[in-house]
Amino acid sequence: MKILVTAKRVEDPESKIKVKADGSGIVQEGLKYKMNPFDEIAVEEGLRLTAKHGGEVVVVSIGPKDVQEQLRHALAMGAARAVWVNHPGPLDPMGAAGLLQKVVEKEKPDLCILGKQSIDDDQGQTGQYLAEWLGWSQGTFASKLDSLESEAEKAKAPAIELSADGKTLQVVREVDSGLATLACSLPAVVTTDLRLNQPRYASLPGIMKAKNKPIEELTPAGLGVDVGLQVEVLRMSPPPPRKAGVKVGDVQELFQKLKNEAKVL
Amino acid sequence: MSAPRANVLLDDRTVEFILYEMLDAEALCNLPDFGEHNRHTFDLFLTSARTLARRVLFPNYRTIDAAPPVLRDGRVYVHPLLKTAWPQLVDLGLISATRGPEVGGAQLPLLVASLASAYLMAGNLSAYGFIGLTSGAAHLLEAFGSTELKARFMAPLYAGEWTGTMALTEPHAGSSLGDIRTRATPTRAGHHLIRGEKVFISAAAHDLAPNVVQMVLARADGAPAGSHGVSLFAVPNRREEDGTLVDNDVAVSGLVHKIGWRGLPSCVLRFGERDDCHGWLVGEPNRGLGQMFQMMNEARIMVGLNGVATASVAYQEALGYARERTQGRLQSQRDPESPQVPLLAHADVRRMLLRQKAIVEGGLALLASTARLADLAAHATDAEERQRAKLLLDLLTPVAKSFPAEAGFESTVLALQVHGGYGYSSEYLPEAFLRDSKLNSLHEGTTGIQGLDLLGRKAVAGGGAALHALSDEVSRTLARARACELDPTWAEQLAEALAELVETTTALAARGAAGDVDSMLAHSHDYLTLFGLVAVGWQWLTMACVAQEALRRGGKDEAQAFYRGKLAAAQYWAVTELPRVAGLAALCRSAEGSFSRLEPDWL
Repeated sequence: MKILVTAKRVEDPESKIKVKADGSGIVQEGLKYKMNPFDEIAVEEGLRLTAKHGGEVVVVSIGPKDVQEQLRHALAMGAARAVWVNHPGPLDPMGAAGLLQKVVEKEKPDLCILGKQSIDDDQGQTGQYLAEWLGWSQGTFASKLDSLESEAEKAKAPAIELSADGKTLQVVREVDSGLATLACSLPAVVTTDLRLNQPRYASLPGIMKAKNKPIEELTPAGLGVDVGLQVEVLRMSPPPPRKAGVKVGDVQELFQKLKNEAKVL
Repeated sequence: MSAPRANVLLDDRTVEFILYEMLDAEALCNLPDFGEHNRHTFDLFLTSARTLARRVLFPNYRTIDAAPPVLRDGRVYVHPLLKTAWPQLVDLGLISATRGPEVGGAQLPLLVASLASAYLMAGNLSAYGFIGLTSGAAHLLEAFGSTELKARFMAPLYAGEWTGTMALTEPHAGSSLGDIRTRATPTRAGHHLIRGEKVFISAAAHDLAPNVVQMVLARADGAPAGSHGVSLFAVPNRREEDGTLVDNDVAVSGLVHKIGWRGLPSCVLRFGERDDCHGWLVGEPNRGLGQMFQMMNEARIMVGLNGVATASVAYQEALGYARERTQGRLQSQRDPESPQVPLLAHADVRRMLLRQKAIVEGGLALLASTARLADLAAHATDAEERQRAKLLLDLLTPVAKSFPAEAGFESTVLALQVHGGYGYSSEYLPEAFLRDSKLNSLHEGTTGIQGLDLLGRKAVAGGGAALHALSDEVSRTLARARACELDPTWAEQLAEALAELVETTTALAARGAAGDVDSMLAHSHDYLTLFGLVAVGWQWLTMACVAQEALRRGGKDEAQAFYRGKLAAAQYWAVTELPRVAGLAALCRSAEGSFSRLEPDWL
């Protein structure tokens, strides 16, 4: 089976992220970048599925030339080849889904796996748009019940499972009240939640092999997609700093404050 | 107040600084042997190593430390968490990372492999130990083994299917390996029969892999006494017969109850209790020690890295604690109602933290510089450059091993001190780092032996050629420091310390040449300490130059803070450590005899 996965370049959450004084965005200088962690989970799941059922994982990223770093990372994890949509400008979820739709039509995968959201803007929309516009079934927030990779967890059925005839996919997804299990007909779009798997580390042999794997360059114009923004970012601001707490003298005072000030009683 | 930060083990920005700003690791990629690499392959590998160390190794560190391996019915069982981590460690590809493609390696510069390894060591020394020992055993087989031995033993080691170790020490002979008694009797079938006892053999038996290959020093029947009669043998715990692995008569008679490195079993072994222990000669007969010592530079660099890595994780732990824990008020604050300040606000705590930073980062820079010399010594295209790098590598190796072993231990003591009374409890981690760290001054040549090696051999060999080469290097750094307008006293301190080192070496060499070796070597330990202060002083002045040049180019506040931290540590070394050199040099030259002429019954 052929699986298309995404690898978005995002700010490393371990970097110190600051909002620019004029609120027009974040300070880029000195920031580190990495693959969106939810996409890393998508790459891992794709690799596990192809290891089991055969086929290949194709990884796609949209952005300036720097996104090749994230593509190489996915290639080092084991993806077979990469597609780079060269688009240095800003992009919203609809634009991303539009570009991905054209890449899908070109690549014709059986399955697309995307992170459920990217940790930079946390929009969580691209996978759903993509499935809708392709007219494919979708299984979002693919997940597992328990903690990652315990022996007990490994023994259980995987959260994404291909049926024996290869025509449908069973997806366990996280919902408010627990887990729901869906059957999706293929082709389908699946988005990954945090507990789906623990992504592998790029091994040194994998890193060396990735150097010679191909990265195909595409452009929005070449794909015939207008990536004009539907969503405009007006202003960014940091969350307000937390105020210092207060010490209460006794339980009575605590009750008074909870009742009269916090109004939770 | 921000949420408590997880211990980062090593500071990523400092690793990046040493690799790319100080040592120009990317320039190594211009050498044909490293031509397949670039900054991107380096960074991806570092990311994998640090992520594994932070996510898997360090979170399990305390649990593994608390429950050491057990010996049951002759078999050794390691902590189950190690069994989970082991395949992930193997998959990183570190065992063969620095080796060439002909043995399945990736020809990664030792410089990069060392810094990647440092994260794993800082995360969990014991877990890393299996990797380091396997890599070392495989490298010995690669260097000296026959084609057949390579296929049989080296290949599964590099692939991580089996593990390896070195079996040198015997109950009566550790530092004195020429005195070993393990025997090897040749057979017509080509192998030898091994008989003898070894102690302190790390990872000699465990349940992580189906087999262990031990590189055993033994004396073949009829071989001369002393170090010239010692040969090297490959002895598997299980040998292949008719396609299956059968017991090779290697018995574990006990486990050593160690105070640190508690995840890694240290075994007492009996070879050939039933006269059925097969060993295969590796390399030339009677050359075992020499062959082993050809691998010593890398082994000693690894021990130095262990020291720095543990000191680093301890420093990060102390730094995190000092930022979060509030205690007392500044001396100038008289108001008892005022809030308590973080530990970090107290000058004496900052002194301890800066000292740790200076030791950890100075040590890491020294190790990285030494590893880079090892890369150049093996892979530079120019023969003269290779030779010069080898000269410096040999000189600096005992220092790169001992400085982190000794100063690194002191640094972990400071990390405990920062924790106050809580540091003395096993509720907090520093006590464990202290225990782990202590091994570094003992194995792969004690500090005493490193001092003798440095002063008795390395510093005086070839008319002091290596020291001349080092002087040239330091002089270049001094010129750079003057050019970038650092505080001139820092360079002056280093210049004076270097002059003391050279003068002292010359004087002691002359004494040795005149036949008075005892007086020459009386203070070899002080000489080693002195040398370490100078070598690390050189590293700090180099880092100060890089930082100063970056500051002069300008940049944002955060970058400024990073570089200013480097200048502060460089200043600290110049004003508190380098002045100690003169006193140590005087002691070495005086050959003062308080202990060397001590009669045993005076004690």
